[in-house]
Amino acid sequence: MKILIADDSRVMRQIVTRTLRQAGFEGHDLVEASDGQEAFDKTVAEKPDLVLSDWNMPHMTGVEVLRMLRANGNQVPFGFVTSEGTPEMRQAAEDAGALFLVTKPFTADTFKDALDPILG
Amino acid sequence: MTNPTEDDLKVIADQVWSSYLDLDGASPLVPLPHEKPVDDVTASVSVTGAWRGHVLVSCSEAAAKHVAAALLGIEFDDVAEEDVADALGELANIIGGNVKSLLPEPCALSLPHVHVDGANGRYPSVTEVCHLEGTWMAESVTVTVLESTADLAGAPA
Repeated sequence: MKILIADDSRVMRQIVTRTLRQAGFEGHDLVEASDGQEAFDKTVAEKPDLVLSDWNMPHMTGVEVLRMLRANGNQVPFGFVTSEGTPEMRQAAEDAGALFLVTKPFTADTFKDALDPILG
Repeated sequence: MTNPTEDDLKVIADQVWSSYLDLDGASPLVPLPHEKPVDDVTASVSVTGAWRGHVLVSCSEAAAKHVAAALLGIEFDDVAEEDVADALGELANIIGGNVKSLLPEPCALSLPHVHVDGANGRYPSVTEVCHLEGTWMAESVTVTVLESTADLAGAPA
């Protein structure tokens, strides 16, 4: 499967990549995006099977990316990996069509629980 | 809802350290002020909305490099300069995001700002809500929460 990792922090993209491996999700084709616009563009161009996206990013927030994808008829499975997990944001994520919202700091077990239904 | 406390910061820091910075439990953040607190590097995120203020993470240059090495899973000596700002910014983002979950809604969190030159920015019209001073890898690390006291509605007519 192809997975797009969107986060404006290169360090966090590395952590997500490492955590995917630690959670047992190895051998997937990983693509990276460093802001919201790039996340949207690469989702359209690269057609990933899953998007793991930060919430707060330059140019477009993660939820804006998701809403724009859905508005354009793109139904890619989409999950958030973000430092914020308030009930309001979880609701906004769900309303926009996200499958899950994982909060930072996360562990390999958290990833496994969230991603097993999709990648397992 | 009450303001975050030093205990809240300790709980958040413990989660961050055990997840990313102290995986084997050998190098926790010890909540004892370093004998010489330093703020060579300061990363901050701002909160706006129902609550307004800033969450700052300040540390020595060496501590910032240790953070980058731990987050990237590389050796201390292999840390590049741009990794230090990115890593400290992400640390402030994670801690700030968790602090925000203790604050009244609705609030928005900014992208992180990082000062690596000892000039930790200026925060006018703020009052300190709480701070956590600690020592990690024999280096100084401090987390501070500042609340804005500026009255947005107080501008002259």
